[in-house]
Amino acid sequence: MQISIEVNGSTENLDVEPGVTLLDALRERLDVTGPKKGCDRGQCGACTVHVGGRPVLSCLTLAATVRGPVTTVEGLAADGRLHPVQQAFVEQDALQCGFCTSGQIMSAVAAVEQDVADVREFMSGNVCRCAAYPNIVAAIDQVRRADASV
Amino acid sequence: MTNRIDGPLKVTGRAQYGLDHNFPGMLYGYVVTSTIANGEIVAMDVTAAKSAPGVVAVYSPFDPLTLRRPNSPMLGETWVPLQDRDVAYYGQPVGFVVAQTYEQARDAAMLVEVSYAERPARTSLVDNLDLAEDGPPAMDGTPPTHAVLAPGVESIEDALAASPVVVEGTYSTATQNHAAMEPHSAVAVWDDDANDNDANDNDANDNDANDNDANDDDDTNNGLTIYSGNQGASFQQEDMAAALEVEPSSVHTINPFVGGAFGGKGSTSVPAFLAAAAARALGRPVKAALSREQVFTATANRAETLQKVALGADRDGTLIAVRHDSWCSAALDRSFVEQTSHTTSGEWYATRNLATTQKVVPLTIPRTTFMRAPGEAPGSFALESAMDELAVALDMDPIELRMRNSSTGPVGSDLQWSSKYLDDCYRIGAERFGWSQRSATGREDGDWLVGMGMASAFFPALRFPATTEITLRADDTAVVSVGGADPGTGLLTVMSLIGAESLDIAVERITPRLGRSAYPPGGLSGGSTATASVGSAIMVAASAVIDDLQALASAPGGPFEGQDVTYADGRVLAGGRSMTFGELLTALGRESVSATGSSAPGEELTKHSFSSFGAQFCEVRVHRWTREARVSRMLGVFDAGRIINEKAARSQLMGGMIWGVSAALHEGLEIEGNGRLANADLAGYLLPVNADIPEVDVHFVQHPDTLHNPVGARGVGEIGTVGMAAAVANAIHNATGIRVRHLPITIEDLLDDEVS
Repeated sequence: MQISIEVNGSTENLDVEPGVTLLDALRERLDVTGPKKGCDRGQCGACTVHVGGRPVLSCLTLAATVRGPVTTVEGLAADGRLHPVQQAFVEQDALQCGFCTSGQIMSAVAAVEQDVADVREFMSGNVCRCAAYPNIVAAIDQVRRADASV
Repeated sequence: MTNRIDGPLKVTGRAQYGLDHNFPGMLYGYVVTSTIANGEIVAMDVTAAKSAPGVVAVYSPFDPLTLRRPNSPMLGETWVPLQDRDVAYYGQPVGFVVAQTYEQARDAAMLVEVSYAERPARTSLVDNLDLAEDGPPAMDGTPPTHAVLAPGVESIEDALAASPVVVEGTYSTATQNHAAMEPHSAVAVWDDDANDNDANDNDANDNDANDNDANDDDDTNNGLTIYSGNQGASFQQEDMAAALEVEPSSVHTINPFVGGAFGGKGSTSVPAFLAAAAARALGRPVKAALSREQVFTATANRAETLQKVALGADRDGTLIAVRHDSWCSAALDRSFVEQTSHTTSGEWYATRNLATTQKVVPLTIPRTTFMRAPGEAPGSFALESAMDELAVALDMDPIELRMRNSSTGPVGSDLQWSSKYLDDCYRIGAERFGWSQRSATGREDGDWLVGMGMASAFFPALRFPATTEITLRADDTAVVSVGGADPGTGLLTVMSLIGAESLDIAVERITPRLGRSAYPPGGLSGGSTATASVGSAIMVAASAVIDDLQALASAPGGPFEGQDVTYADGRVLAGGRSMTFGELLTALGRESVSATGSSAPGEELTKHSFSSFGAQFCEVRVHRWTREARVSRMLGVFDAGRIINEKAARSQLMGGMIWGVSAALHEGLEIEGNGRLANADLAGYLLPVNADIPEVDVHFVQHPDTLHNPVGARGVGEIGTVGMAAAVANAIHNATGIRVRHLPITIEDLLDDEVS
């Protein structure tokens, strides 16, 4: 079926089977490979993207059902400058192998935007086997402190 | 404190892992796995699969892709799929479907019908101890049955009988999976003349995207180019060449980014072999990945272990006798043995009498392999739990007991530790953690029972031969390269730091490169060796390239002709004049000068024993009514020689410590009687998530160990996970009085307490 998705600001037209996930559409059809496939079951969070500004698991989202604009980790940096959450992840060493990082960052951006009460709870849908968890919390705290001081 | 040099690429999604490569005309492969644990495949009906939409080929033992088994001196023989009809475990790869799209390949794979002549499965370690065989000798040659007895002592039993205080326990640890976030996967391309490798270089230094690659020798791309995460580019190159019966020079492996490995990506994976062979057969690029469920069976796991430990001591805590008998599970091919006795009890504490054994029990289960701190991680759970039990029996502080029995080297060895500051780790740890606040029976905080536990951590300091190349360039930058891999360890950043130090220039002027078989061999990510191995080779290469530079400067026609030239601060100096190396190269009309340097272990091995050391601390809260156990504080203090990049080293150790918590309270693969894994996905195989993990404090006792290698660093990748599971169990005992001798510890284990 013919679908049209807005990804990181550009509109993409695709011909896909109804069973194709947003993750596979992004990675295998549009060459948007920031979102990762760690489990394909919604159990790890590595595929997290924003649809209409809300974090979703792209492996559990059928491409044909997507209506809102999609933002992936590639769409966060503006004018070549890292998003504050991206910058904080680098500074706090909130990553090691980096495979879960795209998803962590998309959830972390949502955590900051929603000003969530419990960061560790909110971030618990994103598994990090390298176990950078305390540094991920520190990165989010860094951004929130900076926001609060503005 | 240096930021990870590849951080910006990883946080923007621009770091390209194996599967992130797409090619025109690329096909997708999907692996079919067995649904019995033991038997023979009688027939495979692939008719429906072959006629399914988009399917290009279906391979099976009846219509195989020819692959030979590689055999490497370090990793042993690597199993390759589809070469016979034997099934040795549930979930074994038995087929490979290739189609135009991922969805078509996956869907068609479900249509393959396999008929088996089934034999009984044998999956329980404890039920099959009668099948136990002697394990192989340990790495240092120690036999599977080993004893060191004091003069006049006939047996370890006599030594235990003569000990005033004896504790004895049987401990067990679960089968585990590395569960790296990146499933094993590959993209294989033959005669890839369309692909510009440099464009996909993933170079960490953005300003240096594609120009002046110091290593252009793989640009022709004749033969196989394989994009697949692994722990050492040259290993995968050799595996691939052997499996496909081509020259190693015809295999180009590219793995600058690896989505976690932890020992599970040492051997080349099934999808890599199948993608490469299918791509050759079909003349098109092939992408293949294991599903998460398949990762648990079609790669290899950490073995389950059973360990019996007996400690005999004098009333002052001095150890008189240590007996440690171990059994581990293995696949039928006995390809890997998890050695838990010798590497812990054989080395950690001084004792007059020692006896260790290592047995292996072959089962119809998925293969086993190295996993972060193989041997030491499960072995330390047994020994360090037993030490805690001995401290309780002696009514002695657990730290004091350990300091009382400090070892100067492995038991019975003349080779003393090269550099050991473990007592400092205990002392500093006790101070930082507030150990003096610990009571022998824990404390209460509302509905929570709170306990503190500690354990020792040892991990051998090893290094492997490595070669690096350094290129000094006319723009006053330098490229440092090694084959290697950086699956999150921080090796790439370490290369920059040691390169800058060795060349006496700013770190920003170094471009580190790794993750290609085209680069010099070495720098595998395994055994906590990469920093010591690669760092030493960088020092040699730097010295060589500076020699070459000086020779160019003073050669006839050079700007310092005939003069005695020195080098400092990135400049050549003589006769009161100096030039940067870039200015010198420019004056000589050269773009660059390169040299390689190699380093390997040598004579030091005959003079000392080498290990890293640590003291692990944790506080655990057990809920009085629900009995859930939560780790609320953790501290590790480590003596790992010199620390090159404290930021990334801290992350490595923190990750390791969290692995210890995971082993203690979360992870365990459950294998059913028919061989099926009951929890082979990330919902059923529990890993800690963010909310499970508290603040983690990591502290270094920095004493460079230049007896081990010129860099003075001993390695931090694995020791963080050693001992922590025991520290958790010991803290639970402190909190509740319940001693749990198996992992993982669950709520059920903590129910049988008299609720006070």
